[in-house]
Amino acid sequence: MTGPADRLRPDEEEKTIAEESSSLWLLVVSPTVWAVHFAASYAITSLACVKFPDLLGVGGLQWIIGALTGLALAAILATALRSWRQWDFLEDYDHIHHRPRSEDRHEFLGHAAFLLSVVSFIGTVYVALPVWLTGTC
Amino acid sequence: MSADTTHILAPQGPYPPGPEMLNAPVDPQWSRESGARLRAVWAQPRGLRYWSAVNNSEVGQWYAMLCFGFMLAAGVLALLMRVQLAVPGNDFLSADRFNQFFTMHGSAMMFLFAVPMFEAIAILLLPAFLGARDMPFPRLSAYGFWCFAIGGTFVFGSVFFGAAPDSGWFMYPPLATQSEGIGADIWLLGLSFIEVSSIAAAVELIVGVLKCRPPGMRINLMPLYAWYVLVVGAMILFAFPPLIAGDFLFELERSFDWPFFDPERGGDPMLWQHLFWIFGHPEVYIIFLPSIAIAAMIVPTAAGRPIVGYSWIVLSAVAVGFLSFGLWVHHMFTTGLPAISLGFFSAASEAVVIPTGVQLFAFLATLMAGRVRMSVPMLYIAGALAIFTCGGLTGIMVALVPFDRQVHDTYFIVAHLHYTLFGGMVFPVMAGVIYFYPFIRKKMMSPRLGKWAFWLVFTGFNLCFLPMHLTGLQGMPRRVYTYPDLDALNWGWLNMLSTAGAFVMAAGFAVFLWDVIRPKGRDAAAPRNPWGGGTLEWTHDVPEDPGWGVRSIPYITSRYPLWQQEGLLERMDAGGCYLGDAPEGLRETLITTVLDARPILVQRVTGPTWITLAAAGFTGGLFILPVFKLYWPALACGAGAMAAILWWLWRDTARPPEAARKPVGLGLSLPLYATGPASVGWWGMFITMLGDMTAFASLVFGFFFYWTAGDDFPLPGAGHGQPVLCGLAAACYGGGWAAMRLARGWNRGGRVGRARLARAAAPVLALAGALAMAGAVWLPGLDPASHVYPAMLWAFAVWTVVHSVPGLVMPLYCLAGSLRGKLTPAHDADLWNCTLYWHFLLITALVSAAVLGPIPRLM
Repeated sequence: MTGPADRLRPDEEEKTIAEESSSLWLLVVSPTVWAVHFAASYAITSLACVKFPDLLGVGGLQWIIGALTGLALAAILATALRSWRQWDFLEDYDHIHHRPRSEDRHEFLGHAAFLLSVVSFIGTVYVALPVWLTGTC
Repeated sequence: MSADTTHILAPQGPYPPGPEMLNAPVDPQWSRESGARLRAVWAQPRGLRYWSAVNNSEVGQWYAMLCFGFMLAAGVLALLMRVQLAVPGNDFLSADRFNQFFTMHGSAMMFLFAVPMFEAIAILLLPAFLGARDMPFPRLSAYGFWCFAIGGTFVFGSVFFGAAPDSGWFMYPPLATQSEGIGADIWLLGLSFIEVSSIAAAVELIVGVLKCRPPGMRINLMPLYAWYVLVVGAMILFAFPPLIAGDFLFELERSFDWPFFDPERGGDPMLWQHLFWIFGHPEVYIIFLPSIAIAAMIVPTAAGRPIVGYSWIVLSAVAVGFLSFGLWVHHMFTTGLPAISLGFFSAASEAVVIPTGVQLFAFLATLMAGRVRMSVPMLYIAGALAIFTCGGLTGIMVALVPFDRQVHDTYFIVAHLHYTLFGGMVFPVMAGVIYFYPFIRKKMMSPRLGKWAFWLVFTGFNLCFLPMHLTGLQGMPRRVYTYPDLDALNWGWLNMLSTAGAFVMAAGFAVFLWDVIRPKGRDAAAPRNPWGGGTLEWTHDVPEDPGWGVRSIPYITSRYPLWQQEGLLERMDAGGCYLGDAPEGLRETLITTVLDARPILVQRVTGPTWITLAAAGFTGGLFILPVFKLYWPALACGAGAMAAILWWLWRDTARPPEAARKPVGLGLSLPLYATGPASVGWWGMFITMLGDMTAFASLVFGFFFYWTAGDDFPLPGAGHGQPVLCGLAAACYGGGWAAMRLARGWNRGGRVGRARLARAAAPVLALAGALAMAGAVWLPGLDPASHVYPAMLWAFAVWTVVHSVPGLVMPLYCLAGSLRGKLTPAHDADLWNCTLYWHFLLITALVSAAVLGPIPRLM
């Protein structure tokens, strides 16, 4: 099996080590944003609907969770952008990353982090929907 | 303190090896002699001592066979239930026995089969996928297995005495808290005990994937199975501890009447439901992912080509790992939570379909792009995909709140969950057994019997569970031991059909079982790579297994080395790769870096021993004796377990080696000792404590849950933790932590005397902290049986005091090590690991002190 680009660009082989140690963590950034957004939405809803039902009302809840969702989506988009750059797909159209080189590992982690950002984005939008679609607690 | 950061010596010699090195001939005489030495080192004990083995191949097989046994036993319970339900108004089983059977069927299938089967298969196969000799902590695997064997036998055995738990596999209070007899205690304590082995396995597997890959196997080249194992290991760390915390509270209620789940005294049964399902839903994926991982290994072999969409499958494994934690309330749609909250979980339940679907499409794409050779394992995978898809579709239905309200607690749910579990777990595992049988037993299973078993199980399964969708939609509730014979109900013929199907399925399992265990002495030996696979497990030795994993550890440059690296197998067999010799007569494996798998260390791994069995036996006493209210003997067993574990660590781990480095082949010399984050022990401790922190976080969650859900938490006028003692406790634990941290730096800097003094101070401070913590709840006269608020404060104090025991023993262990030359300025792995424990202990203590003292006063 041959990848779309088997030629090796010498400069790419020399990505810095410091960048690499962070790229494993890059993988979990977007899903973590989803998780934090999810947990925060759940906690705030419990407080607004059960503990302090008169304080906020559903309208207030919608604005708070709406703002949180905006923040979360922005963070996920930023991660997606960073991982898209790391993947660097348009440079060599490689989406297989099966060669034993630092560049492949580097792009693979970017690719996977990008895909995870896409799923996290959809997941975050999904979680925000009930707040807007459900009018009451 | 610059010396503080050096954890390991640098390797010496060339890496990566050049082609001329990999093509240089291997001296045949050296190859024979080194092979004989290596064989002697890894030889398994014989006779009775066979049971002292700790090698992953032995432990993995015992584990898998025992899980299989529990599965068959739980299956027999299901058959008996099907007999009872075959006709209306039947009296084959009494209501009480029926309750015990369905509780045990669910509990055993989940806790004694599905989860441990993953651990068993992973322990058995992971080192082979990675070309490693063994797991990094072989004795931990053995200890986990023996814990499982003792706990599982105890829990399942109760069914023969009519004493089994009978409140359903999720043990909802108040039914379970008020249930008579010891059944619920057996469930709580027995299964908590088994969770120890799950967490042990998670630690082992995560470290295995991250640190024990062969040189060159970068993270983008690792077999997909390893990715799945990594994700599932992490999930176990975050999913099982909430249940352990729940069990802790539950058993305190049953044993000492602390009212955590009793609404009359401020408790709330819903907290148990939350904790149980925060565990319970991820658990479904903990079962599903490693089984689908088996499919990810079989599909490329059947298609004869690399997997399509490697990155996409990694995406789906990681995404499912995360999203599965956002689903737990979909088991609680009818409990009266706010509608918006239900919406969150409904939405997440639909979102998880995306990554789950992605991996199935990647499999299909691989099959379409390749040239498929249909084999028996592939037949099972095809069946699995079909059945899982059906279960997934009903899953989308029940993820919708209005639909779920209609079918909640009916046979529709029974049908749904069995479709997902058979498609997502049972069929892939059966495929895996057939596929890997030649690797494990060096013989093939019979294709004829395999096809018979498949069609019997597949047909029987659909005959049994498809009608349950209808019985459920017609309103038949789950867990009823019988039902009336009414024309209007019309349930009778559907139930009869299900019962008939169950027996057809059982016949299939009988054929499969026979094929697994039948003597195969006359069968021809299996070829070395019978299916033509491309991954490293097919470099195994035939016709017998010398126990060494691989003859020598290869240098890997591709995802499918047997397809893509010419001459690799011959070189491995000649011993011409890494660690092809064992001149010191010690068991060793290679440790590599996390991302690029550069070799950094030769890890000495432990060999056969009885001490793991003794440790597991004592641990069993610690968990099992409280069922019978034998608290003092249980504590004695706890002390015994600790002594056994200390003995095992003292004798055989983190000993200063005889030399700084040793040659490992291909011109490379690697260090023999590592400390801190460079060592596997540090990672083991870190991962274990991450799980421990999750359990503690669950307690904190409980505290705030009571505050959110109830009006009398904190209870007005009940008093709080004694503030001065809370402060004192925090100060003592802070002091103990500082002493450990300073001891580490002083020892490394050569100021050994001062370091010893600090290590002697730490246990004193731990003891003082524990006493202050206990006094903080005792002195104000908080009565834990009166209300959930004081009970919760006591629970925090008990949790912290119990965690202080290792915090007290560890510095003493390091002190003894320093006095006896095990721990020196250059060899301080023990000290790093114990200091790491103290970091976590400090967090626990500070949070507990805050929860006891200042936080409730602010609420």
